[in-house]
Amino acid sequence: MNRRLQIAILALAVAVAAGCAEVKPWERDLHARADMKADQHDAAIDDHIYFSKEASSGGRGFAGGGCGCN
Amino acid sequence: MQLKKPIGSSLAAATCGLLGVLPAAPVAAQEAPDWEIDSSLLYYGEDNNRVTDGSLMISARRRLDEDRSYNLTLTVDSLTGATPSGAVPANVVQTFTGPSGGGSYVVQPGETPYDTNFLDTRIALSGSWNQALGDAMRYGIGFSSSDEYDYLHLGLNGRLERDFNNRNTTVFVGAAFGQDKVKPVGGTPVGLAPMFGEDDENEEDDDEDRNVDLTKDVVDVLFGVTQVLSRRSLLELSFSYGQSDGYLTDPYKILSVVDPLTGAPVPGLEDEVPYLYLYEKRPDSRAKQSLFAEWRHAFDRDSMAINFRLMDDDWGVQSQTVDARYRWNINDDSYLEPHLRYYTQSAADFYRTVLFQGDPQPDFASADHRLADMGAYTAGFKYGRRTQRGEFSIRLEYYRQEGDPSPGSAVGDLASFELVPPLTAIIAQFGYKFRF
Repeated sequence: MNRRLQIAILALAVAVAAGCAEVKPWERDLHARADMKADQHDAAIDDHIYFSKEASSGGRGFAGGGCGCN
Repeated sequence: MQLKKPIGSSLAAATCGLLGVLPAAPVAAQEAPDWEIDSSLLYYGEDNNRVTDGSLMISARRRLDEDRSYNLTLTVDSLTGATPSGAVPANVVQTFTGPSGGGSYVVQPGETPYDTNFLDTRIALSGSWNQALGDAMRYGIGFSSSDEYDYLHLGLNGRLERDFNNRNTTVFVGAAFGQDKVKPVGGTPVGLAPMFGEDDENEEDDDEDRNVDLTKDVVDVLFGVTQVLSRRSLLELSFSYGQSDGYLTDPYKILSVVDPLTGAPVPGLEDEVPYLYLYEKRPDSRAKQSLFAEWRHAFDRDSMAINFRLMDDDWGVQSQTVDARYRWNINDDSYLEPHLRYYTQSAADFYRTVLFQGDPQPDFASADHRLADMGAYTAGFKYGRRTQRGEFSIRLEYYRQEGDPSPGSAVGDLASFELVPPLTAIIAQFGYKFRF
């Protein structure tokens, strides 16, 4: 793995660890809103388009493929 | 199996649902419905009569009870249009052979060679089963499949999630395995061998080799964490690794062989098309790794999501992606969501705009623009309107991709041509989802 990725992983892990003020179940009203979740169809369609037009794939989910388009 | 009617919303289900990517119990004020149907109609169109795709995607998800659900998704794609063949423009008329040695096409001087024989229908079916394992764990197993005229994909995947820290932290791991079968129209060309003319006398001799099905195995592993940062913020981090082995070459892409001084195409030999073009060849394995981070934040009325992805692979491609959305909840029934995305990548080690006559033949070479140095951005918006049972939405996006139109390899005549033409596409999507 290249150095840049290692540093990025470490930096983000520290950021997560530092930001963990516990939120109680009854404080989850904002998180529970539908707009706080990615739209599955939009994500799948975008992944498919960009997979067939660019050299990268995956990230959010599996890099996979399953298409002769690339 | 007895099917329990889902009971009304519980806070436990609600809090569980927002933590993972696994579809979990939706938050509902009244009795939760059994079925959720999500449908999308997509139009994707590129400029200059390049690719046009019409696509329909329908997902059905059924909740059996609070802990178990399954999902099926069917996608039908219909693609037509032209794709860059990989050859470069020239000051002469160029003739190419289509797949199967027939359907040759002619490209006028100065024009980018597009393979106009691009036509495909793709049908994809995927499904998953999702279940809770006690209070803090969930798993999902699924399959994926797709069929095209020249391509078949079959895959299995699984995912396990566990909550910690009063559900403030969720750790997940996943794995996927896919086996793809490639059956190029007209047989599989030999990598870095010349393109033959229509009356290919050698074709019959080669038929046995050329008609063998080729396979590609893809293994992906993924692990990550979702962390509640505050009452308003959520952060997801994940790392994924993908290994592909097998036939990774694009059988329809070629490279021009040009004179190193004039940039003019080199004449082909007998049996070949008038100028010399070689079929591309890529390595038979590729390892990719990605780091993904997404931050979501809820305002009182609106919300936003921004994500980053770093990817690199052992082909020498490194890419960075930034994607941001802002959800403006106009009122209880409608929203507007602007979206921006920026992407940049470095070229694969074996990417070549052209091959020069007299140079030693490389082990691998491809002129596929998707492996070039390039950048792209997307700008668009989505508008959604809720109805009593569901939600309508429209999404419009503009995509623009630009490489270096005149790279260092643009010698002689080539300096006056656009060797890597920019790409502009419009994405229009209509969606309707409902529950019952």
